[in-house]
Amino acid sequence: MNILKIKKFILAITLLVFPTSIIAGSGHYHYDGPDISGAKVKIFGPWLAPEDESFRDVLSIFEKETGASVEYGGSDEFEQIINIDCKAGNPADIAVFPQPGLAANIAATGCLAPQGNDLKQMVLDDYAAGQSWVDLTTYADENGKDQFYGIFFRVNVKSLVWYSPDNFEDNGYEVPQTMEELISLTEKMASDGNTPWCIGLESGGATGWPATDWMEEIMLRTHPPSVYDQWVSNEMPFNDQKVIDAMNFFGTFALNDKYVAGGSKAVATTGFRDSPKGLFTSPPQCMMHRQASFIPAFFPEGVEAGVDYDFFYFPAYSSKDLGRPVLGAGTVITATNNNPATTELMKFLMHPEAHERFMGKGGFLTPHKGVDKSKYASDTFRGLHDILVGATTFRFDGSDLMPGAVGAGSFWTGMVDYTNGKSAKDVADEIQTSWDAIK
Amino acid sequence: MKIKINFSSILSQLLLLFFVILWITPTFGLFISSFRDKDQLAISGWWTSLVTTEVNEIHRTKGKKDQVEDEGFYIIKGNLFKKDEGKKVLSYGVTSKNINAYKVGEIAILKDKSEIIVFENGNYQWKSKSEFKKKKGRRIFITATSPPSFTLNNYKEVLFKEGLGQAFLNTIAVALPATLIPLIICSFFSYSLTWMNFFGRDLLLATIIASLVVPLQMSLIPILTIYNDLGALFNVEAKSFPGVWMAHTGFGLASTTFLLWNFMKSLPNEMLEAAKVDGASHYDTFVRIVIPLSIPAFASIFILQFLWVWNDLLVGLVFLDKHPSEIILTAKLKELLGSRGENWEILTTGAFISMTVPLFIFFSLQRFFIRGLVAGSVKG
Repeated sequence: MNILKIKKFILAITLLVFPTSIIAGSGHYHYDGPDISGAKVKIFGPWLAPEDESFRDVLSIFEKETGASVEYGGSDEFEQIINIDCKAGNPADIAVFPQPGLAANIAATGCLAPQGNDLKQMVLDDYAAGQSWVDLTTYADENGKDQFYGIFFRVNVKSLVWYSPDNFEDNGYEVPQTMEELISLTEKMASDGNTPWCIGLESGGATGWPATDWMEEIMLRTHPPSVYDQWVSNEMPFNDQKVIDAMNFFGTFALNDKYVAGGSKAVATTGFRDSPKGLFTSPPQCMMHRQASFIPAFFPEGVEAGVDYDFFYFPAYSSKDLGRPVLGAGTVITATNNNPATTELMKFLMHPEAHERFMGKGGFLTPHKGVDKSKYASDTFRGLHDILVGATTFRFDGSDLMPGAVGAGSFWTGMVDYTNGKSAKDVADEIQTSWDAIK
Repeated sequence: MKIKINFSSILSQLLLLFFVILWITPTFGLFISSFRDKDQLAISGWWTSLVTTEVNEIHRTKGKKDQVEDEGFYIIKGNLFKKDEGKKVLSYGVTSKNINAYKVGEIAILKDKSEIIVFENGNYQWKSKSEFKKKKGRRIFITATSPPSFTLNNYKEVLFKEGLGQAFLNTIAVALPATLIPLIICSFFSYSLTWMNFFGRDLLLATIIASLVVPLQMSLIPILTIYNDLGALFNVEAKSFPGVWMAHTGFGLASTTFLLWNFMKSLPNEMLEAAKVDGASHYDTFVRIVIPLSIPAFASIFILQFLWVWNDLLVGLVFLDKHPSEIILTAKLKELLGSRGENWEILTTGAFISMTVPLFIFFSLQRFFIRGLVAGSVKG
């Protein structure tokens, strides 16, 4: 075969393969649902602007393909409203839960409809670490029987530290690779006269939650994941010395006036949305901010990912053989009734196209293995995706898994008390007492 | 001439002045803030809105893409400010460690021997003998004076982009019927309770007054359950505007009836008896005599009920859906507090928009309000 022929051959193959591959590609990625025109689905969730518009945009694919109409409404009073609606017997067809713990509570009242095995199989097949996602949406129903209730849609990675590369460069700081390096970097920053951390816990009725994330990160980095699981399920009491030590470790950052912007007194009163702004002020109020992947939405207008800010993995100890633990959270989508439209919508939300549409809008991270990574709106999110799938240990936000009275109550307020000067022992005792009270 | 000083009068006047200031100050602050430029609002209070303030900002120069070669030098030129806001640079710095190392017009020499100069109007020039290699520009830290700046953009954004305009209309759609329906019902009801004799009248009145003590929170879920059953029966949405009108009517009826009954009781008996003698039916008496005489009471009840419904969050949250075509103003504001909590320009503007209607209603009907409140207090 001479070269010309080979060239022709290659050309022929590319001509053959290219168009078909495009068709095959779009065929694979394009959602193609059954015709269920006239059906109406109501969705209720916690997403407000700007996520609600992105989600409505995702739903528009479903509407177009199936002819059904879907209405999404969001509220930050999600928990109260879903309780009222369930008690009154008329919840929205699909409920998007901000925390799996809350979904478990509602499932126990019998308000949610268990999902079929085909949806479960989709999660097992399509999500990285599928079994753990299935476990996180398997709850006891009103008869105490374990049922599979829904899917995770939109996941956050928490184990991140945000910083300004320029500020690091101006001061000659390097991104730390281990916890030891992070601690010595913190000390160095303080001795240089810079403030290492911005920490803000204020979040209205949920004040204190960012500190619970700190606790979970520290627990995962100082003890094996089994200890974390025992802590979250209260097999190990909250006032165990391990937990108290973790809280005191958080205190070495948050209670040191030189380590935190505004001093330790400001920690509880600074809004969690406002605190990262300290990275971008002139002169900078702090050098680093530990927060989940959603936080760039609250950065000042006009700052650019990769230019004005970047992130690194909240590192693990090199001296402890605990791998690269990653902490995450996510929203759970469940149905309150199983009519053809809701069942189809749940399947649609497992389709790569639904994920990719949201990915393109930004602020969306998914464990779905079948998505095209290039659809992410920014390199930041591609990096986050890699952290998510590269985790040796993935654990879900512990406070979201604890019972509401603790995980969304005494744990939050306890951490506020701790930053206001209460001892770790007293705080841990109180949280354990509140846990005992609901057993 | 003797000057009489009435101390108690002066005291009450001062007290009044104190309360007026206490109320006006935050309102006025809200009003000013809602018109301020968002960057200024974020760093300084409304009382400084009329003076020029000093601000510290970070700007970035252009990158290697925009360099031009000129007589052996590579030059990047531009203006630090994105739009002309009248800011004047006082001093600048090139690292975060020393943000005002150089006076405006001074040349800063960087580590790589390149030179930067920044002028008062934000123009800058960055000159180097070797080619610029970095894609992203260099940060320049400036200290600048920022003149007062007011804008209508906040209102534009809140009303049209954030959906507060739609929520405003939704609240009007809730509040007007939810005020007028109970007003109409309670006017008939109070008349019959006052001027018609029928069996069990006093018991009925006592029941109404007793029902005032039932907190509405207790009835939310039962009512919603009834709505769901009704909705399923007639195949309509359980959460809808008529539903919320009925809910507000029910919650407001007891107090409006009580207030109006109290007022109608004070109308002179002789007048109504005279009408009766002249052959007027109850309907004629009601329409021709009682309604015209009760206008001040109607107005004050209208204000009370309207303000109550306008400011209500709970009933609207429970009995209406959360999507944009039904969400009410207070719920939307609450939502903004969560999603845009750090954007003060959004919150102050939103709050002021929600205040405008109650303010308008109160000021336009306040004459009636005062008359209505005292009406019935003195029996002639």
